[in-house]
Amino acid sequence: MTNDFMLLMPLIIITAGAISLMLVAAFEKVTIEQASFCCMGIFGIAFLMQLSNCITGNVTPYETVFNNMLVISNFTRVAGLIILGCGFFTAMSAQTYFKQNNFCTTEFYSLITFSACGMLLLTMVQELISVFIALEIMSLAIYILVGYDRKNKTAAEAVMKYLMLGAFAGAFFTMGAALIYGGAHSTQFSSIGQFVAENGFFNNPALVAGSFFVLVAFLFKAAAFPFHAWVIDVYDGASAPITGYMATGLKTAIFAVFANFLVADESLRSSWVNYLFYFSVFTMFVGNLIAIGQDTLKRMLAASGIVHTGYLLIALVAVSADNFSGNVILYYLAAYAVGTLGMFAALSYLGGEGEKRKSFDDFKGLAQVRPYSAAAITIFLLSMAGIPPTAGFMGKFFVITSAIDAGQIALAVFGIISSILSMWYYLRLIISMYFHEATDSFEDTTSNGLAPIGTFILAACVLIIGLYPVII
Amino acid sequence: MEHNVTFLGYIPLLPLIGAAVLGFLHIGTCNRKPLNEKLYGLIACVGPVLAFVLALRVFLTLKGMPEEARYLSQKAFTWFQVGELDITMGFLADPLSSLMLVFVTLIGSLIHIYSIGYMEGDKNIGKFFAYLNLFVGSMLILVLGDNPVVMFVGWEGVGLCSYLLISFYSEETNNVLAGNKAFIVNRIGDLGFVLGMAFLFWAIGAGGFDFFSLKANAHSLTPGIALAVCLLLFVGATGKSAQIPLYVWLPDAMAGPTPVSALIHAATMVTAGVYMVARFSFIYAHVPVAGEIVAWIGILTALLAAIFAMFQDDIKKILAYSTVSQLGYMFAGVGVAAYSAGIFHVFTHAFFKALLFLGAGAIIYAMHHEQNIWKMGGLKNKMPKTYITMLIGALALAGCPPFAGFFSKDEILFSTLATGHYGIWAIGVLVAGMTAFYTFRMIFVVFHGEPRDQEAYDHCHEAPAVMTVPLIILAVGALFAGFLNLPAIFGGNQLVSHWLAPSLVEHHPHVSIFIEIIAIGASVAAFVVGIRIAYKRFAVGAEEPQFSGFCKFAYHKFYIDELYDGVFVQPYKKIGNAIRKTIEPSVTDAPVTLASKLYMVIGTAFKVFQVGYVRVYAIYMIVGLSLMSLLLSQSLN
Repeated sequence: MTNDFMLLMPLIIITAGAISLMLVAAFEKVTIEQASFCCMGIFGIAFLMQLSNCITGNVTPYETVFNNMLVISNFTRVAGLIILGCGFFTAMSAQTYFKQNNFCTTEFYSLITFSACGMLLLTMVQELISVFIALEIMSLAIYILVGYDRKNKTAAEAVMKYLMLGAFAGAFFTMGAALIYGGAHSTQFSSIGQFVAENGFFNNPALVAGSFFVLVAFLFKAAAFPFHAWVIDVYDGASAPITGYMATGLKTAIFAVFANFLVADESLRSSWVNYLFYFSVFTMFVGNLIAIGQDTLKRMLAASGIVHTGYLLIALVAVSADNFSGNVILYYLAAYAVGTLGMFAALSYLGGEGEKRKSFDDFKGLAQVRPYSAAAITIFLLSMAGIPPTAGFMGKFFVITSAIDAGQIALAVFGIISSILSMWYYLRLIISMYFHEATDSFEDTTSNGLAPIGTFILAACVLIIGLYPVII
Repeated sequence: MEHNVTFLGYIPLLPLIGAAVLGFLHIGTCNRKPLNEKLYGLIACVGPVLAFVLALRVFLTLKGMPEEARYLSQKAFTWFQVGELDITMGFLADPLSSLMLVFVTLIGSLIHIYSIGYMEGDKNIGKFFAYLNLFVGSMLILVLGDNPVVMFVGWEGVGLCSYLLISFYSEETNNVLAGNKAFIVNRIGDLGFVLGMAFLFWAIGAGGFDFFSLKANAHSLTPGIALAVCLLLFVGATGKSAQIPLYVWLPDAMAGPTPVSALIHAATMVTAGVYMVARFSFIYAHVPVAGEIVAWIGILTALLAAIFAMFQDDIKKILAYSTVSQLGYMFAGVGVAAYSAGIFHVFTHAFFKALLFLGAGAIIYAMHHEQNIWKMGGLKNKMPKTYITMLIGALALAGCPPFAGFFSKDEILFSTLATGHYGIWAIGVLVAGMTAFYTFRMIFVVFHGEPRDQEAYDHCHEAPAVMTVPLIILAVGALFAGFLNLPAIFGGNQLVSHWLAPSLVEHHPHVSIFIEIIAIGASVAAFVVGIRIAYKRFAVGAEEPQFSGFCKFAYHKFYIDELYDGVFVQPYKKIGNAIRKTIEPSVTDAPVTLASKLYMVIGTAFKVFQVGYVRVYAIYMIVGLSLMSLLLSQSLN
């Protein structure tokens, strides 16, 4: 029992932290600045806790805790680690972001922490009802965070769209869960897997339809084609730190639960592989095509997020349930997370008041004025494009080799083509930054916040993770 | 004795760290308030000086080992592993590399110190020192690499740095072109090196690719492959060490700042080729034909460059051709399997050539960037320290006993005679005379006689101590370095040759003392004759000559640059232009442009789908869902 508590310690810290932040927010004396430091502190402690769990604890894979409600494996721990890191850097970016934008209240940080609580739960849940609860904990907090700037029309629009479509997807999930329960007589992942293994998958329509609906809900949250359309508007409307958080933390949580669900049993996964193949290919290419047409940075990054979902789906297709370690998925998530978080951290302090710098043109000549920031952004972009020696390259390399190992040659080829296409929009920003004369002085960006520090730490991480992939 | 150590890696690492720090400092400050110049200078000197200390430690550690087992090695990490090829980032210090280490770091450090004075006031001083540190670091990797691949990293590194530094004054097109020329010519040589390496790997790489394994397996090379390997590697050496036919870049390399010329000519870069041949002596020793070719190319280069040097009027070009000429000697030495003599000449040459270049730098500095010797004259009164040190350097270069150059050059000439290469020996003696002539032509014109440009003369002054002190140290080296390898005939016991013996595969032929006396006598005679002619013609009141006939031909360097330009460069450019204008736009570029346009169109089209209405997005979901359901219903049993 104590062991259970130790393993859940990060989750407990985050939950307690979220509640106490919310309570503390009632006092007027607490400044927004202090709240951001508290939030970073909570994430920092939880991160270290999780790290020490990762290093020291030698649990058997799939150790179940709390009467099979949650499961803890190396996969879930590292996923948790990524989420906590995302939370930490998001709080860091937000600290600087709100020096120039003043719609923040102290509850903002509490909500970030609450959503992290949902994400952490999602990585560990093994049971459909708990998935739904975790999903809602996470989503509700995120809905509010997206629309936090109530005076801003785009933010309001974004939260409306997200909420409505999210509810739509939530409905699919509950429907799916109910059907699965009807078909497999259980909500436990392992029991469902066992049931499929014994009775077959395609001769049970309720199970097929149910798991399909559940899949749709996951694909919606992960922004896969054709459930991707909300991403562009929502990412565009949310404030930069939150967009970064959604793109990284949320995606990590969703893919963790997705992988946990699919690999509950090999037969369950293999019945879906053919379909995931199409989802993956379409997601990559549609994402690329949308990204090519975008003129603002956040919309481009949103579209590129769709493409990365496509890559992660390749990894899901290629994982094998028999010997599931999830390394490839986790590595890709970590690589993607550091790159994207860094990008949004940079946008947090370079965006200016009310995020007035949006388009590619607004960043013209950045390299002349802010050479280090431009260099950091270049590193992030190259990582996302998958150019050595960055983390993104190694991530793509692992994903594609795992696809080849799994015999999915076509998928690997599509992945490579898509990554070539993606250069188009990543390099476009680099060209803007380096090959144009500066028209903007970027003077208002020299605020002494933490986001620049976070940006450079993340840029260093991109290179370190890229050069020494072993550490993950 | 413990052969595995951990400090070897720091020797190249220290200057490299210096380069990184300087580079970041420079990038960070170049657009704003620049940092204090002295700070850059100090940071730059730390790396090479510490490397020198470590090099001494390596040297002393090796000295304490039994002679037959003198080596230190460090396997830092496995660099990469492809098939059979397993390359470790490993470093090896044996007597050969330790000797190189000591003088590369020593002379490198002195040049760094000197540069603090010379580069004073340059706005890109941070960049300069960063490149300089990178240069030394690359050279140290080259010297320390324990396998040809690591060596190649350094080999390419010095090529890159030479490019960066030669075009350092990048405002002028000519300087950039000179940098390009150096880089491109070097790349031609590099191709030879890479091919040689590939051949070597193909033939005996299976038994391990570090120098120890290669040495152990060298006997299993078939003569044909061994010859091919030797010649290909030598092509690399001709590029890096400026031999016929790839010597053309070195004189143009004078476009860089003078300390760079000193670094290129003395401590780094050009010595790499000789070092490499000596390093591969275990192969060259088995292929006498290859050695023969190397020696002949070397001595012909020496002759050609000496002829050119006699007619130049730019002080740095004279020195540049003298370097080419001296390198020719070194190759003649290693070609006749006298590897230690060749390396010894590298060693002594490093001192006096660095000295001469830095002295020339001091003059150029004093004369406000005037390089034409016919604008100088009588400078010995104004710049006594520079005069005396350069005179020592000149005597050493000209081969005056007992200066450093005499012993090393004599050693080479003696070896050619001893191995029966009389033709090479005769040319060598001739070149020795010519060397004395052009060296003292320069000294007399620059320092003696009357000032030719009174105004410049009046403004000229001795260089600051930060520049003269390195000159003095190098002068001491140029004076005494030769005694390290004093041959038996003078009562010495050839310390350097004995030191190098375990690293090299060579045997010293036993010849009568009579031949040795002939060799020495001829060298000294050539020196005396050369200097005498120079004295007669240039000591007092010589005027800038108008060349005609052969002299004019030689003044224009036999029009070889123009020949290369006409035969290789222009046709190549024409072909390139033709491809650019016809094939590229229509054949290769068109489909790519078309594809990109296509994607642009589709991308824009997809923008239409992002209408922004939630209901439409929901419809997408439903449509996707329905399509999937259709697919799924197919698979239901």
